[in-house]
Amino acid sequence: MEFDWTEEDLSYRSELQDFLAEELPGRWEGATAVLGSADNAEYSRRFAGLLAEKGWLTPHWPTEWGGTAATPWMLAVLGEELWSRGEPRGPQYMNVNWIGPSIMAHGTPEQCQRYLPPIAAGDVIWCQGFSEPEAGTDLASLRTRAVLDGDDYVVNGSKIWTSYGDIADHCYLLVRTDAQAERHRGISVLLMAMDSPGLVVRPIPGMVGEHSFTELFLTDVRVPVANRLGPENEGWSVVREALSFERVGAPRWARAAYVLDETVRGALEQGRSIDPVAVEAVGVAKTACEAARMLCYRVIDERARDLPPSPHANVARVAMVQAERLVADACAALEGNEIMRYGSDSDLQMRKSLAAGVAAGTYEVQLNLVSRRHLRLPKN
Amino acid sequence: MDFTLDSHQEAVLEAVGTLLSRHSGPARLHDLGGDEPGYDHDLDKRLAEAGFLDVAEPLSTCRLDAALVLEALSGSLASSAAGWRLLVLPTLDVDVEGPVAVVTESHSGPARFAADADALVVIGDDRVRLVRPDRPIPRVRSRLGWPVGEVTGLSEGGALDGAPAAAVRSWARVAVATEMVGAMQFALDITVRHVSDRRQFDRAIGSFQAVQHGLAECSVAVDGARWLALEAAFTGSASTAAAALTQASEASKLIFRRTHQYHGAMGFTREYDLHLATLRLLALRSEAESFGRPAAACAHEHWGI
Ligand SMILES: Cc1cc2nc3c(=O)[nH]c(=O)nc-3n(C[C@H](O)[C@H](O)[C@H](O)COP(=O)(O)OP(=O)(O)OC[C@H]3O[C@@H](n4cnc5c(N)ncnc54)[C@H](O)[C@@H]3O)c2cc1C
Repeated sequence: MEFDWTEEDLSYRSELQDFLAEELPGRWEGATAVLGSADNAEYSRRFAGLLAEKGWLTPHWPTEWGGTAATPWMLAVLGEELWSRGEPRGPQYMNVNWIGPSIMAHGTPEQCQRYLPPIAAGDVIWCQGFSEPEAGTDLASLRTRAVLDGDDYVVNGSKIWTSYGDIADHCYLLVRTDAQAERHRGISVLLMAMDSPGLVVRPIPGMVGEHSFTELFLTDVRVPVANRLGPENEGWSVVREALSFERVGAPRWARAAYVLDETVRGALEQGRSIDPVAVEAVGVAKTACEAARMLCYRVIDERARDLPPSPHANVARVAMVQAERLVADACAALEGNEIMRYGSDSDLQMRKSLAAGVAAGTYEVQLNLVSRRHLRLPKN
Repeated sequence: MDFTLDSHQEAVLEAVGTLLSRHSGPARLHDLGGDEPGYDHDLDKRLAEAGFLDVAEPLSTCRLDAALVLEALSGSLASSAAGWRLLVLPTLDVDVEGPVAVVTESHSGPARFAADADALVVIGDDRVRLVRPDRPIPRVRSRLGWPVGEVTGLSEGGALDGAPAAAVRSWARVAVATEMVGAMQFALDITVRHVSDRRQFDRAIGSFQAVQHGLAECSVAVDGARWLALEAAFTGSASTAAAALTQASEASKLIFRRTHQYHGAMGFTREYDLHLATLRLLALRSEAESFGRPAAACAHEHWGI
C-alpha cells in the first residue's frame, strides 16, 4: 500500500494543466455555469477537437481506434483535470467513456467504422435515450416498442429527461423488442440518427443552470436493423456493461472541490469576512471532497489491476453525491444572500447538487447497492 | 498508488492480528473493566517485545505501516496508548519507556492515559514539551472505555528543542482519526451481524430499507475516514491529516447514533460489546476537538482561513 503518483502520471498531469491554462484561461465561462447547455455542447466540439489532436480525447482506447492505451490512472488524471475545470468536453464526456467502448465491445465492424472515428475526432454529440415517463429508477420497465419490419425496426413510444436531445447527432436508445419476454430479456439497444423522420424533440426547461432536457416522441421511426448494437433482446446486459466501463462515473468530486475553492478564493479576494459557521461548513465540504477522492481512487486501483467491477464503485458514488451537497451548503454559508443572485456560485451549486443525487442512478439506488453488495445485508 | 497491502505489510498485520486475537479484543477489555478499564500494560509489553511499537522508526515513510497497526489495535479495543507511541513519538527525539499521554498546553481536565503515563507530550502553539509528572496524576472515573487521568496545572519545563509543534499536532490528528476508524469499524461490523440475525415481522431487520440505508451511509463515512487517515499517514500532509480527522469525527456521530439505534435495547446491555466501541468514540471526538476544531483546521490548512 502506498499513495504516491508515478513520475509518468505527474508529468502527464502537469502537461495537461499547462494545456488547460492556455486553452481555458482564468475562470472559463462554461466552467460552472452551463454544463449541459447548447452553448456548452457546441463549445465541446471545438474543445474536444483540440483534445483529439493531442491524443487526449480517447487515450484509454486501443490504438486501433486512435487511442494510446493509457492506464486507468492516466484516465483518472485526465477526468480530474477536466472536471475540475468544468468539463469542457461537455456531453462528449459520455461518448468517450462509455458509448464508444460499448460500440467497440458489441458493434459490428461496420458500426465501429461508422461511429468510432467521429467520436475519437471529437465532433459528434450523442444523447442517451433511457428514461421514460413510466420508467425511471425501474428502467427495465421501459415500454418504447420496436417491431421488426423488413430491414428496419419501427419504433413507437417516448423518452424523457434526454439531455442534449435537441443538439445530438445520434441517440443510444433503449427499446423493447419482445413484449412477451421477462422484462429484462426483451430489451435491445438501437443507435438512432436524431434526424430520423417521425422523431419529434421537445425541450423541457430545466432548473439546473442552463441545462435543458428534452422529451423524445417516436412515431413509426424506422431504425435499420443494422443499427442494433449487440444481439436482439440482450440490450439489458449490453447497457449494464456499458455503464460499468465507467465504474465510478464522472469525478464529480473534482468539480465540487473546484467550485468550493473558487468560492472561498472569491470571498477572500473581496475581503469578505468568513464567520466560524462558514469556516466549519467549508472544512466539512472540503473533507467530503477529499474522502470521495480517495474512495474513487480505490476503484481506479481495482480497474488498474483488472479486477471485476465491485461495490466500491457504489460507495464512491454515494460519497460524491454527499460532497456535492456539502459543497452547496458551504457555498451558501460563504456567500450569504448572494445566493439570490442568479448565477452566483451558491445558486449554481445548489442546483447542481440537486441533480447529483438523481441523474445517472439515484442516491437511494446507490445506497441499496452498498447495503446489499458491500455490507451484504439480507434481501427481504 | 496501491490500495492493497504489500507483502511486508501483510506479514506485519498477520502477526499483529495473531497477537491481538490472543491478548486483546472485547473479552480482554471486559476483563480489564469493560467501559471503565484499566491500562493494559501486559499488551504493551507483548507488542513491544514483538517489535510492533517501533514500526514507524526511524523512517517517516513507515508511518503508514504504523497506522495500519494502530487501526488493528483499535479494532481489537486495546486499552493502550500505543497510538501515541506509533504515530506521535517518532516526530520527537525522546526516550520514554512506558505509556505516554498527549495533551495541549491549555489542557485542564480528563485526558486519556494520563494517570498511567510515564510522560505527557504537551503541545503548545509553537513548542512541544515532554513533562514527566513529579507526583501521580489522579484517575478520573470515566465510563467511556478508556483509562483516564485528571490533568491540572501542568508543571513547567521539559521543552523539546526544535520539536515542530505543528507537525506533532498533525500526527496527533492522524492517530486519533486512525483510532476512530478502528472503533467505528468494530461497531459497524457487529451491527451488520446483529441486523442480519435479528428477525422481526418474520424478516431480518437488516432487510428493511430504512436500516439498510442508514448503515450504508455509515459504511461510506467510515471507508472515507479510513482511506484519508491512511493517506495522511503515508504523505504526512497536514491538510490531509485535518481532513482525515474531520471525516472521522463526522462519521463517528453517525456511527454512534445509528449502531445503537439498530440494536434496540440490546445495545444498552453492558454484557454486549457494542458500547465498548461506541462510547470510546465520544472520548476520541472530544480529544480530536482539543487539537482545534477539525473542520476549521481543514479549512485553515487549505486556505489559511
Ligand atoms: C440533470 C439530469 C439529467 C438527466 N439526463 C438523462 C439523459 O440524458 N437520459 C436519460 O435517459 N435520463 C436522464 N435523466 C433521468 C435520470 O436517469 C432519472 O431521473 C433517474 O433514473 C431517476 O428516475 P426518475 O427521475 O423517474 O425518479 P424515480 O424513479 O421516480 O425516483 C424518485 C425517487 O424515488 C426513489 N426510489 C425509486 N426506486 C427506489 C428504490 N427501489 N429504493 C429506494 N428508493 C427508490 C429514487 O431514489 C428517487 O429518490 C436525467 C436526470 C437529471 C436530473
